Amino acid sequence: MIILLFLIIPIITAIACVFTKKHGISKYISIAGSFIALVYNIYLNYNIYTYKTLQGFNNFFYVDALTILTTQIVTIVAFAAALYSAGYMETELRWGKISEKKLQWYYFLMHMFIFTMLLVCVINNLGVMWVAIEGTTLATTFLVGFYNRKQHQEAAWKYIIICTVGITLALFGVILTYHSAKGVLGEIGYALNWSDLRTVADKFEPHLMKLAFLFVLVGYGTKAGLAPMHTWLPDAHSQAPSPISALFSGVLINCSMYGIIRYHILTSKCVGSDYSCTLLMIFGLISVIVSMPFILIQKDYKRLLAFSSVEHIGFVALGIGFGGMYSVYGAELHTFNHAVTKALLFFCAGNLFLKYETTEMENIKGAIKTLPVTGTILAIAVFAITGTPPFNIFVSEFLILADGFRSGNLFTIIFTCIVIVCVTLIFVGFIYNMFRMIFGTPTRDIPKGETSKFTTAAMLFLLFFVLIISFYIPPLLREVLRNIYDIIRNV
Amino acid sequence: MTQQIIVNSRAIDILAVLMLMTTIVLIGTSRLRTCIWAYACRSFMLTLASGLIAYFSGIHHIYITTGISLALKVIVIPGFLFYIVKKNNIKKEVGSYMNYTLALILACGIILIAYYSTQNIIQFENIFMRHCLPIALSITLLGFFVMIIRKQAIIQIIGLITMEDGMFFAALSTSYGMPLIVELGLFFDILVSVIIMGIYVYRIKESFDGIDTDFLRDIRE
Repeated sequence: MIILLFLIIPIITAIACVFTKKHGISKYISIAGSFIALVYNIYLNYNIYTYKTLQGFNNFFYVDALTILTTQIVTIVAFAAALYSAGYMETELRWGKISEKKLQWYYFLMHMFIFTMLLVCVINNLGVMWVAIEGTTLATTFLVGFYNRKQHQEAAWKYIIICTVGITLALFGVILTYHSAKGVLGEIGYALNWSDLRTVADKFEPHLMKLAFLFVLVGYGTKAGLAPMHTWLPDAHSQAPSPISALFSGVLINCSMYGIIRYHILTSKCVGSDYSCTLLMIFGLISVIVSMPFILIQKDYKRLLAFSSVEHIGFVALGIGFGGMYSVYGAELHTFNHAVTKALLFFCAGNLFLKYETTEMENIKGAIKTLPVTGTILAIAVFAITGTPPFNIFVSEFLILADGFRSGNLFTIIFTCIVIVCVTLIFVGFIYNMFRMIFGTPTRDIPKGETSKFTTAAMLFLLFFVLIISFYIPPLLREVLRNIYDIIRNV
Repeated sequence: MTQQIIVNSRAIDILAVLMLMTTIVLIGTSRLRTCIWAYACRSFMLTLASGLIAYFSGIHHIYITTGISLALKVIVIPGFLFYIVKKNNIKKEVGSYMNYTLALILACGIILIAYYSTQNIIQFENIFMRHCLPIALSITLLGFFVMIIRKQAIIQIIGLITMEDGMFFAALSTSYGMPLIVELGLFFDILVSVIIMGIYVYRIKESFDGIDTDFLRDIRE
């Protein structure tokens, strides 16, 4: 019951946002709704702390530490995005870029998007999880094409076609899993419940499970932005409104990764962890390598951030693939760190866009003078995202790479070395591109001052998480991460 | 029960082969309306196969999915596609990146690959699966192939739902369909995605003056 309530919150918020007659109310509803979800998630977190797992509705819902980490990320970034939207979209409304009606639909779609992501996490049935992941695509297509100009339509079309094809391939993986589960569990209709499958996974047909994992990895990997299936990601992330880009980069890719991890656990139990770990490592490595040149030559700052997401999801895949205690811990910590830091960067990018009305990096100079708060936060966030000590991403990347060396396997060590070279080059590209925007003198006469109180509040909220994880991991989070390691090792 | 299914697997095999043939029509023709008709025919055969499997296996929930499939895939989606074609005044010919002979030869190659790659799985399985799973996989891959070689937005939608049909048939033939709730979710997703794509076809037509996806080349590094 408590899980159902958790899912109802975003739906009610979404519907309430559409049906408010009075202008200006919907933003407060949206902020309040996402805040309630955030608080509620902390309550769920305490429940998990005591009971380890929660189930509901005849095992339809299943919540464990892995779920709770992902929903925590979703609710934190969603609250920040709701806060940021209030300022960002209000400004666009004032300038006449969008109509009031459209704004209400924006809030509706945003909260439906949040709902589908939460559904992906709490659902036990792997088939319904597939439906929910496809649901995230459907809820967000109109958000990608929100401004409805040529380039937005192109991005939206690419997004829906590539992601739906990818997810259709993942369906084959689901079908094969169902087929092998049916052989073991018999004709019961719950044969796709993850919690049941996990207990009997070692009796599955290994051939089927291997093929199933491959299809799921390619399918959900498309949605997660793993290279070489990432081609939709830079387009969609850069064309969507900034708060939505933050949700995309911060949490949507983590939700798909969550689906992959669920299958990873089943496959490891069935055929041993080598097979799926190797595949995850290879895809992770390719993602880091592929994103590197695009970050170096990039001209558009939102695309730069999007490619950086490809790099970081690659890192998460690598960490899970290395499979050691530190690297799994680090990979899960990395999903959290990346989500808050990347969302923060997209918020800064949104403020820059509103101020300078361009996404070309060449045309932006002296951000720290025209936007003192955004400029400062952008500088901190750039250092954080590139993995500079002492910031949060450094901690998680260090944990992942340390395990790469610790394993003693020659291939793993070579992989780790390549990754370190790529990360260094990415650092160079990031600092070079971003600091040209932050410093210097503004070319045009642009009035000083921040966009709105809401946007600044949203950025400070996320900056708080970036800074706190840099120096201190709260015991609640630490416990969750430890439990996740146990779940992935199938203890 | 198993005995009955083996006896009647012949009928389902024939339907499977017919489905494969109607999928190949998508590759061999340049007329858009023919493609939509081919899709509707294949969906009808799929529904028939689904009905037969429901009848012979005696699993009741397959009847429900058969009914929904009949309404949705045979009537609503083709009807909607015809409506888009009519509303947007789309020209009848569909451009291709590849000439038709070569495309057909490659299609044969794809079917061989599908048979080859499922060999490992099906050697342990019952006769019922032996032809259906490779054919289901071929239909999926052929749908993918159609999406790659064709230039136009609507035929890409058809390719996509072809892939989904292939998956649906794979689920039917390997494990008598998915659990009911999953099937319902699947139908919902297909319907909504086709509608959204239809809306985008309209918008792309409005702003690009055509629906060839060649035009979609604005965003680049």
